[in-house]
Amino acid sequence: MSDRRIGVYICHCGGNISDYVDVEAVREAAGREAGVVVAKTAMFTCSDATQQEMVEDIRENSLDGLVVASCSPKLHLYTFRDVAKRAGLNPYRYTQVNVREQCSWAHTDDKKGATEKAVRLVRAGIARTSLTDSLEPVIIDTVPRALVVGAGIAGLRAALGLSDIGISVYLVERENAVGGRVAGLGSMYPHGRNGNSIISQLVSEIGKRENIVAYTGAEVVEKSGSVGNFNVKVRVGGDKPQFVDLNVGSIVVATGFDTFQPGNSEYGFGTGGVVTLDQFRELLDRSGGVPAYNGKEIKSVAYIYCVGSRRDPGVEEAKAYCSRYCCNAAVHASLLAVEKNSRIHQYHLYRDMRTYGRYELMFDQAREAGSIFLRFGEDAPPVVSQSAGGGLRVSVKDLLTFGEEVEMEVDLVVLVTPMKPRQNGGLVDVLKLPLGKDGFFNEIHPKLRPVETVVDGVFICGSCQGPKNSSESVASALAAVTQAASLLKKGYVELEPLMAVVDRDICRWCGECARACPYGAISSEEIQGTEVASVNEAVCKGCSGCTPVCPKNAIDLKGYTDAQVKAMIEALAE
Amino acid sequence: MDLPGRETDSMNYDVLVVGSGIGGMESSLKLGDMGYKVLLVEKEASIGGKMILLSKVFPTLDCASCISTPKMAAAAHHPNVDLMVYSEVEEIERSSRGTFNVRVRKKPTYVNPSLCTGCRQCETACNVAVPDQFNASLAARRAAYIAFPQAVPKKAVIEKEGSSPCTFTCPAGIKAHGYVALTRSGKYDEAFNLVLGETPLVGSLGRACYAPCEGECTRGLAEGAVPVRRIKRFIADRYYQGHRQPVYSSVEKTRGHKVAVVGSGPAGLTAAYQLALKGYEVKVFEAEPLPGGMLRTALPSFRLPKAVVDRDIENVTALGVVIETGVRVEKIGRLKEEGFDAVFMATGTNKDATLGVKGEKLEGVRGALDFLGSVNLGAEPSLEGKTVLVAGGGNVAVDSARAAVRLGAKKVIIQYRRGREDMPAHRWEVEAALSEGVDLQAFCSPVEFNGENGRLAGVQSVRMQPGEPDSSGRKKPVPVKGSEFTTPADLVITAVGLSPSTGDFEKDLKLNGNGTFKVNPETLQTSVPYVFAGGDAVTGPSMIVKAVGQGKRAAYFIDQFLSGESLEGADYDRRLGPVDQKAVLGRQESLSRLEPVAEKEIPLAGSKGGFNEVEMSLTEEEARYSSGRCLDCGVCSECSQCAASCPAIAVDLGMREEKRDLEVGSVIVSTGFKLFPADAKPQYGYGKYKNVITGMQMDRLLAPTRPFNAILRPGDGKVPDSIAYILCTGSRDKTVGNPLCSRVCCMYSIKQNQLIMGSLPLADVTVYYIDIRAFSKGYEEFYNQAGGMGANFVKGRVAGIDEQENGNLVLTYEDIDGGGVIQKAEHDLVVLSVGILPNTDPFGLFTGVELEQDDFAYVKEADEDVNPGKTSIDGVFVAGTASGAKDIPDTILHAGAAVAQAAAYVERIRRGK
Repeated sequence: MSDRRIGVYICHCGGNISDYVDVEAVREAAGREAGVVVAKTAMFTCSDATQQEMVEDIRENSLDGLVVASCSPKLHLYTFRDVAKRAGLNPYRYTQVNVREQCSWAHTDDKKGATEKAVRLVRAGIARTSLTDSLEPVIIDTVPRALVVGAGIAGLRAALGLSDIGISVYLVERENAVGGRVAGLGSMYPHGRNGNSIISQLVSEIGKRENIVAYTGAEVVEKSGSVGNFNVKVRVGGDKPQFVDLNVGSIVVATGFDTFQPGNSEYGFGTGGVVTLDQFRELLDRSGGVPAYNGKEIKSVAYIYCVGSRRDPGVEEAKAYCSRYCCNAAVHASLLAVEKNSRIHQYHLYRDMRTYGRYELMFDQAREAGSIFLRFGEDAPPVVSQSAGGGLRVSVKDLLTFGEEVEMEVDLVVLVTPMKPRQNGGLVDVLKLPLGKDGFFNEIHPKLRPVETVVDGVFICGSCQGPKNSSESVASALAAVTQAASLLKKGYVELEPLMAVVDRDICRWCGECARACPYGAISSEEIQGTEVASVNEAVCKGCSGCTPVCPKNAIDLKGYTDAQVKAMIEALAE
Repeated sequence: MDLPGRETDSMNYDVLVVGSGIGGMESSLKLGDMGYKVLLVEKEASIGGKMILLSKVFPTLDCASCISTPKMAAAAHHPNVDLMVYSEVEEIERSSRGTFNVRVRKKPTYVNPSLCTGCRQCETACNVAVPDQFNASLAARRAAYIAFPQAVPKKAVIEKEGSSPCTFTCPAGIKAHGYVALTRSGKYDEAFNLVLGETPLVGSLGRACYAPCEGECTRGLAEGAVPVRRIKRFIADRYYQGHRQPVYSSVEKTRGHKVAVVGSGPAGLTAAYQLALKGYEVKVFEAEPLPGGMLRTALPSFRLPKAVVDRDIENVTALGVVIETGVRVEKIGRLKEEGFDAVFMATGTNKDATLGVKGEKLEGVRGALDFLGSVNLGAEPSLEGKTVLVAGGGNVAVDSARAAVRLGAKKVIIQYRRGREDMPAHRWEVEAALSEGVDLQAFCSPVEFNGENGRLAGVQSVRMQPGEPDSSGRKKPVPVKGSEFTTPADLVITAVGLSPSTGDFEKDLKLNGNGTFKVNPETLQTSVPYVFAGGDAVTGPSMIVKAVGQGKRAAYFIDQFLSGESLEGADYDRRLGPVDQKAVLGRQESLSRLEPVAEKEIPLAGSKGGFNEVEMSLTEEEARYSSGRCLDCGVCSECSQCAASCPAIAVDLGMREEKRDLEVGSVIVSTGFKLFPADAKPQYGYGKYKNVITGMQMDRLLAPTRPFNAILRPGDGKVPDSIAYILCTGSRDKTVGNPLCSRVCCMYSIKQNQLIMGSLPLADVTVYYIDIRAFSKGYEEFYNQAGGMGANFVKGRVAGIDEQENGNLVLTYEDIDGGGVIQKAEHDLVVLSVGILPNTDPFGLFTGVELEQDDFAYVKEADEDVNPGKTSIDGVFVAGTASGAKDIPDTILHAGAAVAQAAAYVERIRRGK
C-alpha cells in the first residue's frame, strides 16, 4: 500500500482524446490505484480553469504527486509542472502521461484497445509518481554575451538587435567580408532598395557599436559548456590561423543558404544562353544600359520555374520542397529587365505562381509590363533546344491555353532554381544542430518555438532554416534576438535536474560511464582517497547513456530512477 | 489571473500590447521573459484572438487549442504581464520624452471577476440568444457568456449593447425586453416578478397600457412589433390564476419613517408599493369609495375588469400598506401633524374639461369621466332606445361610446374634429367600436347643444377640414363654412380632456398655470421640501405607464430625502442609451419572417348589456411564439436571472465602465485582421444558400470545441459527402477591391481537406483553385499529402453557384486543365476560402502623430527591409497580421521582430536618448 497522496487528471482534449478513449473508464481505473486520492476528468486540462481546479485540489488534499493524462509532454510538461509549483508541490513530483498521441490518435480504429492502453499508461504514470522525490533545478548564471555565426543580412541585423538591448556580440563570418549574398544584390523587392546599400548601412552601424566584435575569415571550431555559459573556440585567418576563445551565453546561427545548380544537361544548362536566375540577376545588376548577353542585346527571355524544386527528390538531387522566394524573385527580375529594356519579350513557364501576399502586386505589374505566363504540368516540363538560327528554342505544353503546344525562340533561358541547405559540415558537428528532412536546420516547433533548436541556448534564423527572402530573414533574425535576450536578460537559466547521480559508496571508478557519455559530462574525482565518478551538472543532459553500463549499478538518473522505471514496467504489465 | 489592481494604476508599463491574438500573446510573453512590464489589452472577453478558434493548424496539424492554451495561460500567469480584457484602448498620445500616454476603457462586464468562478450558471439562466461570434455565427450564444471553453480569464461577461428600444422608451422603466425574453423561455413567474419589481399594476398595464414599447420595437421595422403589452397580460393572467393572493407578506418597517400618499391611482399605488418595499410605513388616502383612481373609474370594465385592478392593488396592500378610502385630504399640514415625514401627492386629473360651447350645462350633456365613473359603479341606467353622441377622439371617447353601446343605446355617434388616422385612441379600439356599430363622424365637431326645457334635444355640429399644420405638426382642423348640421341626441358625452382639482392645496404648494403641481421635474419635489407630487396631477392627463414611472421616481427621491441624502445629482436613471436599430437588423445573419399574432376581440354577444372583457388573451403558444419574435436588440434583456442564479453573487448589473490613464514606454499594435465578408461575392450565394459556408465556419465545425458534434451542413444537418472549396474568395480579386493574396487560404483549405477526409473517409473533396500557394517550410509536402489522401484539385475559377431544391449546389466553372470547357459540378456543401482584410481599428487610436497605413489600409511598415514591424511612429511597432496577411509561423517571427525593437526602444528611452 502507498502512503502517497496522488491526484490524477484525464483530459478529453475537447474530443481529441475522448472520441476514442473512454476517459471515464480511465478515471475509474486510476481511482482504484494505491495512493490516488483525486481522480478527475476535464474537457481541457490545460485550460486556465482546470489548472486552477488542480491548484485547489493539490492544496486542499495535500497532494504529494500529480499525474495528468493528456497529450505529449512536449506540449504541456511545463504547463503542469507550473501548476504543481503554483500549488506548492514540487514540480518534479509531476508525471505526464501521453494518451493522445499514444492512444487516441494512434488507435482510432480500436476504441477498446485505446482505452485499455490508456489505463495501463496511466497506471505506469502513477507508479512512477509514487516513487518521485522533490528535485530542484540546477541554476546557472548566464553570460550577457552572444555569438552570432554568419554575417549576412540576418546575422548583421541580429548582432545590432542584441547590441541595442545591451547584449555584447561576437560576430563570426567565414568569408573574408561581411554582408553575405544581399551585399551583392542591386534592387530588391518589394521596396526597390539596393541590397548593397542596405548592407553598407548595417555594417556602418555595427562599426559604431562598442559592444560588437566582428571576426571575418573565421570559423567556429569548438564548443563546450551549456546554455547560458558556452565556451567557443574560433579559428581566425587562413594560412596562419589564430584561435580565439569566447565565452558567451547564447549562440545565434545565421549561416544562410546555397543556390541549387542545375545538372549539366538540364534544360541545356552549361550551354550558351542558359543561365540561373542568380546569374541573370547579376547580369541585370551589372548592365548600365540595355542588358546584353555575350555582347548581344537580350531581346527575349524565357524563365523556367521550379528547376530543382517541387520535384521527386530522386531526380538529380532535386528538392521536394517549394523554395518560397523564387517565384517572387523571378517576377521581380522580369520587372527589372523590362525597366532596362522596354522592348524585351519575356515568357514565364511556371507551375503555380506563388507570389504570395503583397507580392501578388508584382505579378500584376509583370503582366501589365508585357510578360507572358505559360503554365506547365509537373509531368510535362518545357524542352530547351538549340534553334537553327543559333538562338534557343523552348517548347512547352501550355495548360492555360488548354494544352496547346507553344514554341518560342529566345535569346536567353533563365532557370529559376531553389535555395538549398548550405554545406556547413563542421559547424553542424560542433554545434550538434539537427537537420530537417529538407536538409535545413530544424527548429523545435514552427509555431511554439520557431527559432529555437534542441540545443538549449542555440538559435537559428534566416535562410539556414529554410528558404526566406531578405526581409523575412531579418524578421526571423530579430525573433532570434528576442529569444536570446529573454534568456540572457534574466541573468540565469534553470536546468532540468533530471541528471545522472553517482552513489559514491558503491562506485569503484572503472570509467565505463565516462566512455558512454556523449557529452563528456563525467570525469573521475577523488573522495576520501577513493576514486569515484563525478557528473558535471552543467553538461549532463540526462540522456541516461551511463546508467546501464555501470557494472556496479552505482549510477542512476534522477527523475527516472531504475526503481521508477521498474515500477512503471510492472504497472504496464500488470 | 493578474488583473491590474490599484497598485498598477500609478505604475508605468514598459510596453503596451494592443490585441491578444497569437501575435500579441507572443509579444507580451517574450517581453515579460526579458523582464519588461507589459500591459496586454484585449477587446473581447478572452485573450487568444482568432487562432484559439481554429481546429488544427498547418502544416503540422497541431491542435490550435493545444498551441494557444499554454500561451494564454502563460500570459495570464506571467509575473510581468498584466491583462485587461473586455477593454479598449481609446487614445494613445506620444509624449515629448518618447513615452506614450494611453487611455484604456474597461467595458463593464457586469460580473465581478474576482468572485466569478466560471461555473456558467448565468449562461444557463440567460434568456437571450444572439449569433455567437466565437462560432462564426453557426450557433447562438447567450448575453451572459464565457467566450469559449478555454477562455482566459474564464470569467463570465454580460453583454449589454445598450438599452433595448422597448425598455428604453418605457416611461416606467419596466424591462420590457426582460419579460419578453423570460416568456420566450417559459419562465412566466419570473417574467411576472420582473414587472412586479417595478410596479404592482402588472395586470392593469397588461390591458390598458398604451404600450409605447411596441411603437419602438425593432420588429416593427419588419413584419410588425412584438405584442409586448399582450405578453405582459398573458404573464399577469397566468400568474394571478395560480396565485390568488400575493405570495409575500408585510415587509418589516425598518426605516422609522412614515409616508403619506394622497391618491390611489397608478402613481400613488406604485409609489406606496416601492416605499413599502424599502421599509417605510406607508398610508394611502383615497377620496373615492374604492382605490385605483382612473383604473377604477375611467376605464370601463370590458377593457379592464375590476377584479384585475383589485388583484393588482393586493400586491400593494400585502406589503402592509394601508389604503384609507373615502377620505379627502385637504390640508397637507395635517398629515405632518399626524406624524408623516413625507407626503406624495398623486391626486390625478379628476375633472372633465369642457368643450366651451353653448348648452354644455344642459341636462344630458356630461363629461366622460363622470359617465364612465358612474358606469363602473353600476349606477348608470340603461340607455335602451337612446341616441348618444360622444365628442372626442381619444381612448376615453371610444371607451365611452363602447360603454354606451353596452348600456343598450340605439345609436352611438363619435364626432372627432380630425381624421380617423389622427385619433389618439388605439387603432384596434376604434375598429372594435366600429364593429360594434358605433358611427364615427370624422372631421365633425359640436358647436352648440340644443335644449328643450333645460334638457338636451340635439347637437349642432360643423364639418371641419384640415388646415395649416399646428405646433404638433398635424394639420389644424378648420370649420367649413355653412356646413352646420344638427343631430338629435338624448345624451352627449364630452371626452375632450381632463384637468386636476388642486384648488385645496393652492395655499400650501405652488401650482402651474393649468392647475398642476409645480415640481422639480427630476426629483418631483414640490415647493415644500417634504412634499413630492407626481402622476397626472403634475404632468396633466397622460398614460397610466407614465404615472407609474412618476410614482417610482417619487419613491426613489422620497427615500433619498428621508435618508438625508442629497437629491441633486442622485443617480436615478441608470439606463444605457438605446441601441441602433439598424445595427440590430444588420447583425441578423438570416432573419426569418415571423408574422405577428393578430389582435383578437370577443365579438359583442347578442345581448349588448355585457361588460365582459373584450380582448382575448394570448394563448401560451401565441405568447411563446410572439416573444420568440423578439430580436434581443440590447443583447442583455435585463431580466436579472443571471444575478438570481449566480452562486457566487458575482453579477453586478450596476457596473459602470472605467477609464485608466497609463504611461507606457512603447506600443505594439497586434490588432490582427478581419475576414473577407463572403456575402460581398453575391454570385457564391453566401447568406442566401444555407449550404455555402466560409472557411472559418468549417474550421469551427472541425474544432474540438465545435458547436455540433459532427461535420454537417447547416441547411439540413446532413453529413456532407461531396464538399467543394473555392479558393481566392475575396483575394486576388480586383472586383472586390482586394488584389492581394491572403497567404493562408490555400493552406487552411488543404488542412481542412485532410481533416475532413480523416473524419469523413467517404467524402469527396474538390478544391477549385488558381494557384496553390504552398510556399513555406513543409507546405509543399503538406499539399502533396492532401493530394495523396484523395483531395481533387481543379484549376479553374468558379463563376457562380445555383442552389438545387434539395439544398445541393451546382457550381459553374472553367475547367482549365480539362481543355478549358465550362463545366458544371454538383456538391452538397461549398466552403468559401475567404481571404484576409485589414483591421483598420488601430488608425483611430493615435492622436498628435499619425500611424500611417499602406495602400491597402494595413499598418505601414516604414522600413521593412531592415526593421520589420517598425511603423511610422517612433516607438510604435506592429506585430502579425495588422501589417498584412501572414500565417501563424510568420506572425510569431514578426512578433519576435517587433519585440526586439520595442525592447531596444525602451532601453533607449531609459537612457534618455
